Amino acid sequence: MKAAFDPVTLATPFFIVAIVLEIVLARLGRARAAYEAKDTAVSLLMGLGSTVAGVLTAGAVFAATLWAHQHRLFDIPMTAAWAWVAIFFLEDLTYYWFHRLSHERRFWWASHVNHHSSQHYNLSTALRQTWTGGVAGTWLLWLPLAFLGFPPAMIAIEKGISLVYQFWIHTETIRRLPAPIEAVFNTPSHHRVHHARNPRYLDKNYAGILIIWDRLFGTFEPERDDEPCRYGIVKNLGDFNVLRAAFHEWIGIGADLLRVRSPREALGYLFGPPGWSPDGSRETSAMIKARWRARMREKAAKPAEADPAAASETV
Amino acid sequence: MSWAFLLQTLASAAAIAILVGFTAWARISRPPPKLDAAGALRVLADEFPDASPATPWIAADGAGAVARSGDEALMIFRLGDGFVARAAPWARVAASPVVAGRLTVRLDDPGAPRIRLLTGDGASPFGEGPAS
Repeated sequence: MKAAFDPVTLATPFFIVAIVLEIVLARLGRARAAYEAKDTAVSLLMGLGSTVAGVLTAGAVFAATLWAHQHRLFDIPMTAAWAWVAIFFLEDLTYYWFHRLSHERRFWWASHVNHHSSQHYNLSTALRQTWTGGVAGTWLLWLPLAFLGFPPAMIAIEKGISLVYQFWIHTETIRRLPAPIEAVFNTPSHHRVHHARNPRYLDKNYAGILIIWDRLFGTFEPERDDEPCRYGIVKNLGDFNVLRAAFHEWIGIGADLLRVRSPREALGYLFGPPGWSPDGSRETSAMIKARWRARMREKAAKPAEADPAAASETV
Repeated sequence: MSWAFLLQTLASAAAIAILVGFTAWARISRPPPKLDAAGALRVLADEFPDASPATPWIAADGAGAVARSGDEALMIFRLGDGFVARAAPWARVAASPVVAGRLTVRLDDPGAPRIRLLTGDGASPFGEGPAS
């Protein structure tokens, strides 16, 4: 669903210029940015494929949004300033829960994992977008906004603004912003944590534009100078195949469902946390974090041998 | 799908090709140095912090390593400028065949279905796998 005013289309030239600028600055040693050609190719192809996939499901998404708006509770005018303020907060809150769901339940993680599948973190990573979001149905989460009375075009524009905002935070070039900004907004520092696979940082900082939701719902984790982010997923992909990046988790779900012995197992494989298995032989984020906490406690108990991160640990 | 969309998609594909070429030209990232035992153990310690790997076997081109830790084989291999890690039962890895001079470990993992590590002499480094 595209509004007449589409922030993403308008921002695309800026995306390209910003990526070129980041590469040039990194080449000149003036910025911290790791670009690997094949990795960048996967990111950019995922972005292009996501646009094509979005067109294929746009009709259904638009029809559903229109239907919800036809059954709206209130008439919310697009011309009212208060309406834009309201949708800014409500859309961002919706994004937080969409994003959290996309990490904490495997069915939606299968659609979102490709965005995290790079071991690098740069502006091209921002464009590594899903091909299967329409099929996964996460767009349903935005329907309540239309049902409330926000016009579909207004919702589409606000989603676009959020997506454009989230482009520039995919960078290592910007370290920290002034404290008041870090306190309220999602920043490069906060989002680096989100893309990291260190146990401490797993499943944290789901914010879109405002980091306040993570602070409110207990998923905020600040970036620590003594623990650099290691990017990627718990089990990084074995090659630069764009199809593998797009579909590997779906294939994994399919393979697991072929082996199930009960409806409970099927539900667990589909809607349990990523890494769930009936016998606990695989690891979820919670299990990885528990092992890490135990390791940190053990290190802290031996302060003479402990590294600085472990000695100052509060788990 | 309209002509305008098709044109936009083709222009985007061209822009991607140029950007990827530019990235390759910039040569910002370099492959990591060839692994030796100490280097492999450092990577393994990062990837498997709870494991106690034995002295690793290093692939002939220094692009990967396998170390035994109890009943598990801990494997790392180079991808671009980084490494990818996987663990598998030791028995399965030790029995993996050497195909075209590479120890070929098949995994039940859609994210990395096969790991191929160069052997120096075309024989299994663990003395168990059939060569072919």
